[in-house]
Amino acid sequence: MKSKVLAFGLTAATAFAGPAMADKLDDIIASGTLRCAVVLDFPPMGSKDADNNPIGFDVDYCNDLAAALGVTAEVVETTFPERIPALMSGRVDVAVASTSDTLERAKTVGVSVPYYAFENAVVARPGLEMASWEDMKGKVVGATAGTYEAIWLEGQVKAWGEGEFRPFQNQADVFLALSQGQLDATVGTMEVANANVASGNFGDIKVVDKAPMVPDYVALVTLREEYGLINYMNLFINQQVRTGRYAELYKKWVGEGEPANLTINGVYR
Amino acid sequence: MFNYSFRWNQAFQSLPDMLQGALVTLEVAVFSMILGILFAILLTAFRLSGNRVLRGITTTWVEVARNTPALFQIYMAFFGLAGLGIAITGWTQPQLGFAVDLRLSPYIALLAGITFNNAGYLHENFRGALKAIPDTQTRSARSLGMSAPQAFGYVVMPQMLRISFLPMTNQFVWAILMTSLGAVISMNSDLFGVTDNLVKINFRTFEMFAIAAVIFYVMTKIVTLSARLIAARLFRY
Repeated sequence: MKSKVLAFGLTAATAFAGPAMADKLDDIIASGTLRCAVVLDFPPMGSKDADNNPIGFDVDYCNDLAAALGVTAEVVETTFPERIPALMSGRVDVAVASTSDTLERAKTVGVSVPYYAFENAVVARPGLEMASWEDMKGKVVGATAGTYEAIWLEGQVKAWGEGEFRPFQNQADVFLALSQGQLDATVGTMEVANANVASGNFGDIKVVDKAPMVPDYVALVTLREEYGLINYMNLFINQQVRTGRYAELYKKWVGEGEPANLTINGVYR
Repeated sequence: MFNYSFRWNQAFQSLPDMLQGALVTLEVAVFSMILGILFAILLTAFRLSGNRVLRGITTTWVEVARNTPALFQIYMAFFGLAGLGIAITGWTQPQLGFAVDLRLSPYIALLAGITFNNAGYLHENFRGALKAIPDTQTRSARSLGMSAPQAFGYVVMPQMLRISFLPMTNQFVWAILMTSLGAVISMNSDLFGVTDNLVKINFRTFEMFAIAAVIFYVMTKIVTLSARLIAARLFRY
């Protein structure tokens, strides 16, 4: 009888102590699903195929991470501005969504080491002659609100002291405004700019120049206090490069050429 | 699992910017009301005139304004018109040596969208008010030798504006709230735009929007209360 009570007590105690001890890494493994926030209007990183299935570099990366954890991946579509709120409200476990690792974001969320790096391109509207990125001075420019390039561009407009910056809610609206001439120029990742120019959906827009930014390093993102998961993701990214999977995915989605180097000389992180 | 920790301090640091945005919001709302009232009077005059075309204009305007979402109206003012080629950029006249920029700024597009909406609703208010003014008013004015426009301008319209004064303040409150839709057309200087942009940088979504909501609430409350006070003073018999 006594041992029964004791056993019951122990079971009850572990039942209550269990969830409190587990972290997100345990939760993901226990639930058998990894929910990734992915942006799907951002080819080649994320988009939809003819059957409306999510495809792209980020989608594959999410699948790889889930496979490494031994769970199934669930891709949750979000817009750029929604990525982090979705994470904070517990709708997703991680964001595999080309998220720049800004210090401002690191105040709020946990950021892994970079898993990809973008160059940014300056794109001009149809019928506007621009020689270099500096010709954006005094013009009406815009980008997707809250993105790395938007923050840079807004800073530039302030520094120039002339012209106007306009933030749009999504990438599609930026290029719509550009093709209509509502914007003179925008700054976007080289991959997306080239894809949009090639698509022919936006009239005669053209890539003018590289934007003189530090490469836009992007990281996997989760909640700030989930060290177990952050450590796991860091090692996972390292393994992706080590095993050649990073180069393979680059070739598959971006094309020929060398993928960007993810390490920065002279500093350790 | 609720594990969100509130950081009100961080959000309150943005308060000065948000109050600046509130001024822009009020500015847009006030202009949209002034223009809306003018257009609504014009639409009412159109409806009263015997001309079929003018009445058609009024009917179309009011039907569209009252039966489509305000978001759609504002989106059309910015992207829709541009799609039709209204956003002509740098239309150069080399022989004259100048360039014309016919692009609607987000501010103007937002103002146009809200004005369009206001005019449609205010016209309906005016129509109801006109029904409450007896015909004898117009007839007495005409028998005193006033022309039809004079009778409308001096006798009917003041009474119409007085009767529809409180519904107008309702519309003013709507106009203040409608400014928040500017975010979809890249408006970033109004209260919602400022807040939205800050949230995208600091991710204090709940706190920031809660503060913005309180500012909106205070603004609209001030409008309705002062409208009541003004009405009490104006309409004592």
